[in-house]
Amino acid sequence: MANTDLELLQGTLDLLILKTLAWGPRHGYAIASWIRDTTQKRLQIEDGALYTALHRMEKRGWIEAEWGLSENNRKAKYYQLTSQGRRQLRTKTAVWTEYATAVFQVLQTD
Amino acid sequence: MIRRFPGLRRLLRIDRGRATVDRAVDDELRFHFDMTMRELMAGGMTPDEARRETERRFGDVQRTRERLTTIDRARVGQVQRAEWWSAFAQDFRYALRGLRLKPWFAVAVILTLGLGIGANAAMFGIVDRLLFRPPPFLNAPARATRVYLARSIRGTEMQQSFTGYRRYLDLREGTTSFDAMTPYYVNKNAIGTGESTTEMNLAVSGADLWKMFDIKPAIGRFFTADEDVPPTGKRVAVLSYAYWQTEFGGRKEALGAVMAIGPAKYTIIGVAPEGFNGFELDPVVAFVPISAENGAAGRGGGRNPWYNTYNMTWFEVFARRKPGVTGASATIDLTNAYRASYRKQTAINPRNAPLDVAKPHASSGPVLRNRGPNEGSDAKVASWLIGVAAMVLLIACANVANLMLARALKRRREIAVRIALGVSRGRLLMQLLTESLLLAVIGGGVGIAIAQWGGIAMRRLLLGADDSGPGAFIDSRLLLFAAALALGAGLLTGLAPAFQTGRGDVASALKAGSREGVVHRSRLRVALLVAQAALSVVLLIGAGLFLRSLSNVENVRMGYDADRLLDVEPKARGVKRDSLQNIALRHALLAKAQSLPGVEHATLALTVPFRSSWDYSIYVAGIDSTSRLGSFTLQAGSSDFFATMGTRVLRGRSFDATDGAHAPLVMVASESMVKKLWPNEDAIGKCVRINADTAPCTTVVGVAEDVRRESMAETEMHYYMPADQFNPNVGGLFVRTRGPAAGKAEELRRALQPLMDGGSYVTVTPMATIIASQIRSWKLGAMMFSIFGALALVLAAIGLYSVIAYNVTQRTHEMGVRVALGAQARDVIRLIVSEGLRIVLPGVALGAVLALSAGKWIAPLLFQVSPKDPPVLVGVVTILVVVAVMASWLPARRAARVDPNEALRAD
Repeated sequence: MANTDLELLQGTLDLLILKTLAWGPRHGYAIASWIRDTTQKRLQIEDGALYTALHRMEKRGWIEAEWGLSENNRKAKYYQLTSQGRRQLRTKTAVWTEYATAVFQVLQTD
Repeated sequence: MIRRFPGLRRLLRIDRGRATVDRAVDDELRFHFDMTMRELMAGGMTPDEARRETERRFGDVQRTRERLTTIDRARVGQVQRAEWWSAFAQDFRYALRGLRLKPWFAVAVILTLGLGIGANAAMFGIVDRLLFRPPPFLNAPARATRVYLARSIRGTEMQQSFTGYRRYLDLREGTTSFDAMTPYYVNKNAIGTGESTTEMNLAVSGADLWKMFDIKPAIGRFFTADEDVPPTGKRVAVLSYAYWQTEFGGRKEALGAVMAIGPAKYTIIGVAPEGFNGFELDPVVAFVPISAENGAAGRGGGRNPWYNTYNMTWFEVFARRKPGVTGASATIDLTNAYRASYRKQTAINPRNAPLDVAKPHASSGPVLRNRGPNEGSDAKVASWLIGVAAMVLLIACANVANLMLARALKRRREIAVRIALGVSRGRLLMQLLTESLLLAVIGGGVGIAIAQWGGIAMRRLLLGADDSGPGAFIDSRLLLFAAALALGAGLLTGLAPAFQTGRGDVASALKAGSREGVVHRSRLRVALLVAQAALSVVLLIGAGLFLRSLSNVENVRMGYDADRLLDVEPKARGVKRDSLQNIALRHALLAKAQSLPGVEHATLALTVPFRSSWDYSIYVAGIDSTSRLGSFTLQAGSSDFFATMGTRVLRGRSFDATDGAHAPLVMVASESMVKKLWPNEDAIGKCVRINADTAPCTTVVGVAEDVRRESMAETEMHYYMPADQFNPNVGGLFVRTRGPAAGKAEELRRALQPLMDGGSYVTVTPMATIIASQIRSWKLGAMMFSIFGALALVLAAIGLYSVIAYNVTQRTHEMGVRVALGAQARDVIRLIVSEGLRIVLPGVALGAVLALSAGKWIAPLLFQVSPKDPPVLVGVVTILVVVAVMASWLPARRAARVDPNEALRAD
């Protein structure tokens, strides 16, 4: 049971990151801040888990990384979506929406 | 562009390597911490609070860091592998395209390497069989051994692997080092009956033979120790698989069938598995117990039977050491047993040399005969030939390297551009290597085809005609060997041009036009040509020496006309005849042969050169011991003997019809015998007593020319007696045909066979066939050295031609200038030809020196030729110079025809 929870969380985190990157390249810190701000801190995601997800997706070829200079002129690792990542984002969004709708429908019945 | 901004390059670089991966993870996380802390502190936290909050938000830092580096390392590995494969695929496609664009280059390289690899693979196939590969199915080859016996005779040690049954029993009972031991020999036996009777190889052994191999019978069973008990054993036979297939069509009914082998009939009890051939290479028909074969042949007679005598030696002993017993300790064990056995022998025969003079010792030697002390001359020649083949491969590699170099030089500009564009030198090396390896692999394939085709022919030559052997020539060992050769050749030929390219100075290659940038001559290419010329000289000198040996050996006066002679041997096989019947049979055969239209003369003959000989001690007045002068061999023949053989009688007379059984004893002595016995006197009329000093006088009535009967190199002391006066009941016939004898053997056999009764039969062998096996090693050497030498010469000529032609093309501009300034065609040709000679002559000199210093090793293989034979040396040097002139003259003529206008306008 716990395992399923983890997987769900994992898939969700991947989806959030992919969505974040859909607007353009960002470094890890920016991704973390954006998710925290957008969800108004309702999702408790450890930064460590976020980075692990980033690197795993880089290995899978969904995102690619490049070193660049940050806003305050420091060396930072920027991630961006690959075309494969974009496809993932589309399918994952569809699947997640369907899933959420189904769960919501069950919860709404009295 | 990138070079001017090293920082940019570093930023763009993908993270590779362990340290880099770790550092990148640290950098990324540090950035994250710094930013988070800054934000929190901007929100009003103290640094301590901010750090705690950052760490809380992050979770387990250490574990995450480990996870991240693990993931990244895996990713980098993936990327590198993918890159390697795609680079390889790209190189491969590039190489293929390059070869398609230059098909003739590709064909030249592939054929050159194919010939080199093929020659080596074929030689390996032979040498492997002779020297390396244990007999198929041999159990524990490391412990299997062939027993060698040695004793001193007149101070020199004689190695002997052949022994007799009594000795074998002594060794078997006197040793504890072995868990299996068996006598083993292969001899020719008449197989079958009547017209179809043919002589084939029969393997004879003890029951331990089956223990020494990991085999099970294909059908039936093997014979047991109970069936191998002297004096006669059980007449049972185990067929070889091949014979079972050809004679019995592989049918099970063969079991229990009766088969005529030699003088006896054997019951077939089993069939050996496919490919099993005992300890030797000659294919055998069947395996029978040693007691059965010797009992049937009645060896040794009643008084001195085969199983109870030390005086007959006719087989070898094979054994398997117990696990853990070393060769050295087995040798000591064997020697002790041999010494004890020798003492027993001396007790029976007190005239034997005493133990401390004979110094008998035995050793546990290698199973393969050619690895042991008595290796055959064919194996020696084969070892030489593998050296020669290796040389040809080296020449082929040098040639290919040269061709590749020429190509690499032509592509210098292209390569310089690629280097400037940032292609790493490693990649370039890989690209060149891919190309040469591709060529080498295809060449290896061609080589294997050549080896299959040439190897069978070579095996027939080297291992004798009857060893066509089962199956194809190619096997997994040979394939492995060829693959290793191809790989080595690919690396060798690829590395030379690769280094040449890697060394290039980019800027100068780019700045220069196609003209100057490339003209400077490569020292490496010249060195390769010099080496090629040297190796060709060595091989051609070898070819010359062997050809001269062969011609000497073929022209040597044998003392008889081998080409016109057929050797006829009647074989009794179970038919018992008394002395008179034997004489009658021989005279009947003689009369029949003489009556045939194709026969010029025929004679009885006691012995056959290179097959059998007969010697007695002789006693001559005034000489203490003739045996100290050497051995005197004798031949007996009827009145037509000298006319039949073609042996010239130099003085006195030959025998005639008056020298009958009861007439005074007479002999014709050979010249060297006469010279030895009566150096300053006339031999005619001298008295020789044969076998005992009390025997009646045999009077010398004639002197005949010398003959070679035991060795091609030496004549022997030999004498002839009338057949009627010496053992007319044994021996066979010689028949002199009208015209060459070679094709007439079967005709004669058919004519004579009807005279043979019962199971007896005749064999007819051309004398030339008997001699052919004697001169095979020279023939082989001459042929192989000639083929390899010619191959080397052609390769060297092509190499020189391609280099000169290439240089000429590159110097078109220079030639144009020369012609424009008034140089004649003749001058241009002389210039270029002398350049070719300047390359070849040092090679020729080097090769000559090499050949001369190798002379002492090859001398024992030659026949009446010095390894420093001047005509051969001069001839080879001349050939090389002529070839060099030709190879450079062709491109020189092209250079001389250069139109100055065109040449100067170009580029």
